[in-house]
Amino acid sequence: MLDKIKFERFTAFEKLEISFSQGINIFVGKNGTGKTHILKAAYAACDITKSKEGFAEKINNVFYPSGKQIGRLVKRSSTSNKGYVELTRTSDNKPISIRLSMSNHTTKPDKATVSGATKLWVDSPMETAYIPVKDMMANAPGFRSLYEEREIHFEEIYVDIIRKSFLPLLKGPADKQRKKLLERLQKAMDGKVIAKNEEFFLRNKQGELEFTLLAEGFRKLGLLWVLIQNGTLLNGSALFWDEPETNLNPQLMQSVVAILLELQRMGVQIFLTTHDYVILKEFDLQSQSNDNIKYHSLFRNEESAEIDMASTSDFSNISPNAIDETFGNLINREIEKSMGGLGK
Amino acid sequence: MILNDVDGFTFDFTDAINAFVFDEKDKSKPTYHGAPMKAVDIVVELDAAYLFIEIKDFNDPETYNINAPADGEDLKKISNSFKWLKNYLKYKYRDSYLYRHAEQKVDKPIHYLCLLSFDNALNNVMQKVLKNELPIGKASPRWQTKLAESCQVLNIDKWNQAFPNWPVHKIA
Repeated sequence: MLDKIKFERFTAFEKLEISFSQGINIFVGKNGTGKTHILKAAYAACDITKSKEGFAEKINNVFYPSGKQIGRLVKRSSTSNKGYVELTRTSDNKPISIRLSMSNHTTKPDKATVSGATKLWVDSPMETAYIPVKDMMANAPGFRSLYEEREIHFEEIYVDIIRKSFLPLLKGPADKQRKKLLERLQKAMDGKVIAKNEEFFLRNKQGELEFTLLAEGFRKLGLLWVLIQNGTLLNGSALFWDEPETNLNPQLMQSVVAILLELQRMGVQIFLTTHDYVILKEFDLQSQSNDNIKYHSLFRNEESAEIDMASTSDFSNISPNAIDETFGNLINREIEKSMGGLGK
Repeated sequence: MILNDVDGFTFDFTDAINAFVFDEKDKSKPTYHGAPMKAVDIVVELDAAYLFIEIKDFNDPETYNINAPADGEDLKKISNSFKWLKNYLKYKYRDSYLYRHAEQKVDKPIHYLCLLSFDNALNNVMQKVLKNELPIGKASPRWQTKLAESCQVLNIDKWNQAFPNWPVHKIA
């Protein structure tokens, strides 16, 4: 489980520290406030515990700065600058940290500095998955080999999720909780997912439907089904999901949130970003008192013009709430249009 | 012009010619309502317009939240509450308009402001429905005048942001 992330002059952040919920972390904020960057950095730190890749290399592959010059991840400034990202987790009841530091002149990952409990960090593996906004299941055939053989301009999260979805099943029968979740997903997407020659299909009574012909929302449910079935999402795993609402019908959102809450109860730590009113409300309505949810609201501080954050466990206290502000903006424009300068 | 403790809120209409509690129940006051009709809480007269103001401060706004995901019985309950509130706001306006018509005080455009304790998303939906049903503007080509010029549904934060000349405070 991740406890904390700290940034200093890294990508969009001048200085930011976030204490994570051990359950569900929901990031809200306008575009450009760094939600996805938080997910990517935390994911990279989790993934190296399994892939044994270097932290600097992984961060570089996941963010993919221009020319793969890792120094470009240091926050832009007119002078020479240094920045870092640091993650903290608990291992054997002790906090351990890993930090990647570099300057804006660092060109290659092997010139960046990785410090902290680096060995201990990778010696205690944790399963993890990052679901990007864009579906990759339909593009799976041949994508892994293409990525490995050629220099293609894709952040590594895209090939990682395909790799994870092709992992073979865990040994032994699925436990009760997982079975329940799989059944719920099967009901929502009306079928099970099978893979044949690197191609995914949805199988139901009507036959097998290739993912390229399947609605993108269902592909996402299919991916979740695969990750639960092959044991990527188990007690102690971390799931990162960027904008789950994309291409999902609002009615399916109810099932997705129910599944995410259930995964959290099974011990999966979850990180997601959203711009969607319904998904936030679903968490508010479906969560129970012992669920562990934190809403992290990212915003640009008006005085410093830097990115700041406010966290709360109470839905009604999310502030600023960029999602509700969008509706507020409609009200402003309506007042402006129909009342002109009255009251001002 | 300050109005103290109207349903738990204090208003200051700094640029008003007049502002008074419209549903006044105190017979000794010259603004006593006294007719068997529904009435909005406040009427304000400005140079170029009137404001009709209705306040509803709910303990549990979620009871009305038709934006929130729900199905079956829950959805039915929420829809019914929302519909009840919409009708409540609608008929309050219409009765108040009739009363003011009889007073010959509908000589300026009237803006209807509903101060509710909902989030912006839900206020937005209520505003849209009310606009259609009051209705706003001239509903028929035969109408020579509008029943209402505009209708806004806001929470206290949005109110204070949109109308700095009419600050409102909730009395603790």
